[in-house]
Formats: sequence, structure tokens, C-alpha cells
Amino acid sequence: MKIIFSLILFFLASLSFAEENSVNVYAWPGVIPNSVIQQFEKETGIKVNFSTFDSNETLYAKLRATKNAGYDVIEPSSYYIDRMRRQNMLEKLDKNKLSYFKNLNPEFLNQSYDPHNEYSTPFIWGVTGIFINKNYPHSAAIKKWSDLWNKNYTDQLMLLNDAREVFSIALKTLGYSANDANSDHIKKAYLKLKELNPNIKLFNSDAVISILIDDDANLGMAWNGDAFKAKQEKAQIEFVYPEDGFVIWVDNFAITKNAPHRENAYKFLNFILRADVAQKIALDNLYPTANRAAQNLLPEKIKNDPLVYPSHAILKRGEFQTDIPDSALAVYEKYWEELKMSE
Amino acid sequence: MTRATSPFYVTLIYLFFYIPIIVLIAYSFNNAQYSLLWHGFSLRWYQELFTDADLWVSVWHSLLLGVLSATIATALGGLAAVSLYRYKFFGRNFLYALIFILILSPEIVMGISMLILFNLINVRLGFWTLLFAHITFCMPFVVVTVYSRMVSFDKYIFEAAKDLGATDGVIFNKIILPLLWPALLAGWLLSFTLSLDDVITSYFVAGPDFEILPLKIYSMVRLGVKPEINALCSVMFIVTLLMVMLSQFMLRKKP
Repeated sequence: MKIIFSLILFFLASLSFAEENSVNVYAWPGVIPNSVIQQFEKETGIKVNFSTFDSNETLYAKLRATKNAGYDVIEPSSYYIDRMRRQNMLEKLDKNKLSYFKNLNPEFLNQSYDPHNEYSTPFIWGVTGIFINKNYPHSAAIKKWSDLWNKNYTDQLMLLNDAREVFSIALKTLGYSANDANSDHIKKAYLKLKELNPNIKLFNSDAVISILIDDDANLGMAWNGDAFKAKQEKAQIEFVYPEDGFVIWVDNFAITKNAPHRENAYKFLNFILRADVAQKIALDNLYPTANRAAQNLLPEKIKNDPLVYPSHAILKRGEFQTDIPDSALAVYEKYWEELKMSE
Repeated sequence: MTRATSPFYVTLIYLFFYIPIIVLIAYSFNNAQYSLLWHGFSLRWYQELFTDADLWVSVWHSLLLGVLSATIATALGGLAAVSLYRYKFFGRNFLYALIFILILSPEIVMGISMLILFNLINVRLGFWTLLFAHITFCMPFVVVTVYSRMVSFDKYIFEAAKDLGATDGVIFNKIILPLLWPALLAGWLLSFTLSLDDVITSYFVAGPDFEILPLKIYSMVRLGVKPEINALCSVMFIVTLLMVMLSQFMLRKKP
């Protein structure tokens, strides 16, 4: 009986392999428009199975849970590239198959999370900075993170609902790295954040743009891409690149180890790197693209807007997010809980 | 409760049920991409919804999965209920209790155990694993619905039929099925709905080449609800409403 059962299962499973000329992409929702997927399918005849995840943790768990999860192309954030490459989950990229790799902006290459870009190609990026509503009277004085502690801003701030992002504010204010894993430093950051408590109005990560547009908070943390989108509907939104430093996040494409459709995965990756394709994507999702050739193709009012593409001098103040050990993450989580409970 | 307060109380309960859905439908007509304030009436989200091919692929996948798993679960579950009711065998009550355990056990347990099983027998996650999982969690509901209907049958019907020389097959076709079909329909609809909106079990057993609607909506919502999703949910609500009205209508016509 057991044998028959597993035979039937095996037969049914083999059916799902029928469509071999495909590529399985697993990415954040809303980053690649359908038209680009369709264009790829038309040009290459390869069928794209596009699935989406809601957090890096989901992606990571899904890949860890099954030996052969079947995903070919994935889009983790920088610190998860770091973790996954060290855990041998990513394919070492053959640059000969990525003829458009040269289109990428060198500012986002060879970062510490993937020193020689052996495993990943940067795709979109952003800066976590300060948004302000110009109508708010005290807004002009804000230049750096430490300004947020000012007594004038009682019950005004919106912070992202993410432990590491919020701690990075305090770490930067104290002069530490945003990737600090020293538990004493994290504790100091926690105590610093507790002083910020009276100014915090809310934590949110999933409706940032509507909060900006609907005046639900006058200042706080936001990604520059989100502030740019909010500005399209509400001109009073301004964005400050804090003088005391900030975090740069990058979402990257990578190919999984033992990808079932490796050649197609390379074709997909190279297609995304093509200047005209990357430009289409950037126009659709409005996040800053890591593709320099595509950036040059964008309309003047986007590519020259420092809100989306800050100058090299500003970007130099930024720090790329990298992975930290699980033990340090646990410390972050512990203080994060306490911080939110004491609110 | 007095005669005067009970309409008030019922209204309150219904408001509690339906206000979220009304809000959602209202927002699907809001002329703004991000803002949650009212910016005027617009049909643009419905327009976008109907041109979003990717979303419709997931809708199609979910409908296909729902119909297949509901049909198979109803067939298998119905037969299981009939045999539990008709035939006395050792461990019958124990088996019936096991079905309740499946209904009561947290879905996350089902999800993880399915994932481990599929890993163990080396089945690639995708359409088939989803189908198996959905049939598994739908079937107990069918068994319970059908069985509770059968308990209300007059046992003498079967004895009379046998007395008149009917075989088991004839009894099944001429008596049990006609009496049972409202329960089977109810079981089918229940299974279809369960399959259509399942996130937890599906999350564990879904594979890369078969994305279904609930998982897609879930990942989209985490990064901000797009008004397009509101439009889709409104359409689904209206379709459900029509289906419920249809099934009520069909049930009323039969005695």
C-alpha cells in the first residue's frame, strides 16, 4: 500500500516537471511590472513563474525548509545576501553570462555584504532618512537624527516598524555603526531611544506613504523612494539625508544554489540588467535603481531629483546594511520589545 | 431581551459584521493611490484590476484549486460519511473522533506536517502538494456535514428498501444520494471557500510555479494595501453573495 501510494505521488509529481522551459522568480511584490515579465517571455520563449514574498525572513525560511525549493532567481536585501552566501545557499555568478553587468552603478558594487559581487547583482536601493512636512512649523531646523530628540516634537514622530532600522538612528546619534553587534552599544542605543519615547507618535512600515500624504505624522523616518512617491501626491513633503549618517538598503538579485533552471535564470538576470528594461522597471516602481545606464535614460525630473538620486557626496555618509550574528539580533529583539512596551 | 431591544441588538451585530466590508468596497472606488482620505469617485482600480494579467493568473490558479479540491473532498468525504453511518465495524467511533481532531487541530500543525511529509518523500512543492493539502483539510468538514445530515434519516427507509430487495448500490443511488445532496452541496461550498482563502497551510506547501491568490494578497498587503486589492475583494464579495443567493434559491425549491 505504502509503495503504491508513493508511486502515485511520484507520478503526479513528475507531471509538474512537464514545463521545463521556465524560470521561477521569487521577489518582493510590485518591483517588476507585468509588462517587463511579458516582454521577457516574448523575447526568449521562457515562461516566468513569478511569486512574491512579504519579508526577507519568509524568503529565507522557504528556502531553508525544503532541500529543493525550486526557486531560481531570488531578490533578498543586502544583509540576507550576506547571510545566504555564507550559508552556501547562492550560486557563484558566472559574469560571462551577464553581459550587461557593466551597466551597474559602481557605488553599489563590491560592498561588504558581497565583496566582489560574486553572488548578487544590486537592483533597487534606498536610504532611510527623515521626512518632514513643510507645513509643520519647526520642520526647517531638522538636519540630523539627533535633532529628533528635541522637546518641540512631542508626539510627532513616525518610526519604521523595524528593530534594526530604529536602532540605527540611536546608534548613529551615539557615533556607532548601524551594523553594531556589541551588546553594550545596543543597550546604550536602547536607553537613548527610551528618551525619544515622548516624541514617538506611531510605528509603521506598511502604510508609510499614506501616513505621509494624509498628515498622520509630521516628521519621522522614511525611505527616500517612499517620500518621493508621497511627494507626487503632496508637494509639502521634504526629505533630509541626516548629517550624522544613515543606512542604505539594497535589494539584489541572486541565483539559488542548485537552481533547477540555471541557464534561464542567467538569461532573466541579464535581461533585468539591460538598460532599457531596467529603465522601464525604474519608471514603474519609482525606487532608485542601481543600474547606472538605466538611470541615465530616465526623465530629467527624476534623475536630477536629489530625493531619488542623492549626490555622491551625500551617499558617502551612508552605511550599507550587513548581516549581524543571531546572538546580537536576539539582543536587538529583546530591547525592541521593551521599547515598544514602554511606549 | 425584550421585544424592543432585540432589533437594536441585531442591527448592532450586523453592523459589526459588515462595516469592514462596506469600508473596503467604498475604498475600492477612492480616486487615490496611497491616501486613505476620500478623493472622489473613480473606477480606475477596477480598470487596473481587469488589466492585471498576473493577478488573474493567481485568481485562475485559486479557482482551479478550489473546484478540484472541493469536488474530490466532497466525493471522498461523502463516501467516508456514508460508510461510517451505514456499516458497523471495529473502531468506528474512534475514526469519527479522529475526524474532529483534524478539524480542531491548529492549521499550522497541518501545514508543517504536510511540509515534512512532502520533504520526506521528496515531492517537489507546487500544484500537486497544494491539491493534496487542500483535499486533506477540506475532507473532515464534508464528513461532518454529511454525517450529521444522515443521522437525521429514518433508519427504517433502508430496512424497507432491503426488504423490497434493493442492493447496497441501489440504496445508495436511489435513497442516500437524493436525500443527501443538500448536505453534499453544503460540504462542497464549505470546502471551496476554505480552499479559496487558505493562507497558513498553503504557505508551507506552495511551490514556485503555482502562485495562488491568498498568498499573493498576503504578500502585497504587507507592503501597503493597493486599492486594486480592494477592488478585487469587492468583486469576490459580490460573487460570493450571488453564489449564496443561488444556493439558497436552489435549496428552497426542493422539499
